[in-house]
Amino acid sequence: MNTLLVRWSGAAFAVGLLTTLSSGCAVDGGGYGYGADVGIGADYYEPYGYDYGGWGPGYRVGPYRGDGQRREHSGGAPSPHAYRSAPASHAMPSIPSGSRSTGARAGGSHSGGSRSR
Amino acid sequence: MVTTMLRQLGFSAGGPNNAEVRTVQPRRPQLVLRRGLLAAFLGVAGAAPVMAAQFQLPPLVEPASQEHHAGKVIFVELVTPDIAAAKQFYGELFGWTFRDIQAGAKEYAEAYLDGHPVAGLFHKELPTGAQRRPGWLSFIAVRDVDAAKEAALRNGAKLLFGPRSISNLGRRAVFADPQGAVFAVLASESGDPPDVLAAPGEWIWSSLLTSDPDTDAAFYQTLFGYEVFDLPADGSGQHFTLASDSYARASVNTLPGNRPDIHPHWLNFVRVEDADKTTAKLVALGGRVLVEPRLDRHGGRIAIVADPLGAVFGLMEWPDTESKEVPQ
Repeated sequence: MNTLLVRWSGAAFAVGLLTTLSSGCAVDGGGYGYGADVGIGADYYEPYGYDYGGWGPGYRVGPYRGDGQRREHSGGAPSPHAYRSAPASHAMPSIPSGSRSTGARAGGSHSGGSRSR
Repeated sequence: MVTTMLRQLGFSAGGPNNAEVRTVQPRRPQLVLRRGLLAAFLGVAGAAPVMAAQFQLPPLVEPASQEHHAGKVIFVELVTPDIAAAKQFYGELFGWTFRDIQAGAKEYAEAYLDGHPVAGLFHKELPTGAQRRPGWLSFIAVRDVDAAKEAALRNGAKLLFGPRSISNLGRRAVFADPQGAVFAVLASESGDPPDVLAAPGEWIWSSLLTSDPDTDAAFYQTLFGYEVFDLPADGSGQHFTLASDSYARASVNTLPGNRPDIHPHWLNFVRVEDADKTTAKLVALGGRVLVEPRLDRHGGRIAIVADPLGAVFGLMEWPDTESKEVPQ
């Protein structure tokens, strides 16, 4: 077979193979751990170089147990915030407290009732 | 059919002695082009078996349920450069067991506790010298990932991955919220896990630590339909509880100590029986304690820790009695 033909065919085969595989990777990954990195967070390796801490004695991030307190000004009144406060009639909910064996509908709290979306 | 195709492209079944092949000259570019196209076709066909090795993950709920809890953190995933070390560490610390999942060059392990999936561990090389460390990624339940993507992008988020469907698991996408905290959404094919109290060793709570809690509370409310509860001011910035289905799902908090050097991030907590004993065990296994066990508002103790490779997570006691201790 003619040398030029062999070269053309080989090159075309390689192009076809690489194009297909790369398009497959793009669908398959495209970032975040499954393909090429696309920058911070995409592969979820967090930024490094700071020390954790600065938690003062009053700094709390957990849920309330049972009905918790709400900030007094919130609920119902026009909010100066970007978010909408829950209605004043709704008490602070907690996390679920039922067990797998006894069923799920326990815990929470407010009167908004349960709903599954 | 293949023979016909070969003929149409200028080949014949006569093998290398065929006269037509021998007479191909550069002055016949059409024939060369045809053969090039055939070679490209064969290249595509040759790649098909490689592509067929699709990445699959186990369903989140078995047997599948019809439960859906938009806004609930339903899964977490660790990306780590040493999956064997991670398996050993978390296995010994929480009693997790693992099922390896291999698809091509991808290495993944599903972690289980008492038969229930609790986490995914994904191996990825960490380039030498990279200023990064492994992290736990929170997956929040949605019904429609593509609709969530549109809403997220409209409200200032950045899309980092997807949306992408993974066989058995569902469709998911990863974002950075307007302040840069990374989170994911997942529409589980098999339904969402039931709303039950996490057992020790399972994830019980999630907190967002951010530079702008007000804006982030609005962002997540728009995305997941949360009710937002303002918590009493305590001199350490703003704190909110995000709720859906009448359950508290997560908190949003000003970054501790007004530390501008700390990147906004989600922090997930594993329930433990005793935070002090667990941190001691964690240290013995090579982990680090970042925030010593301390009383939180629910009456139990929490601690912030890191695994031996630096992935940060929380420990949280949830006493069976109404209140183990009362925070002042």
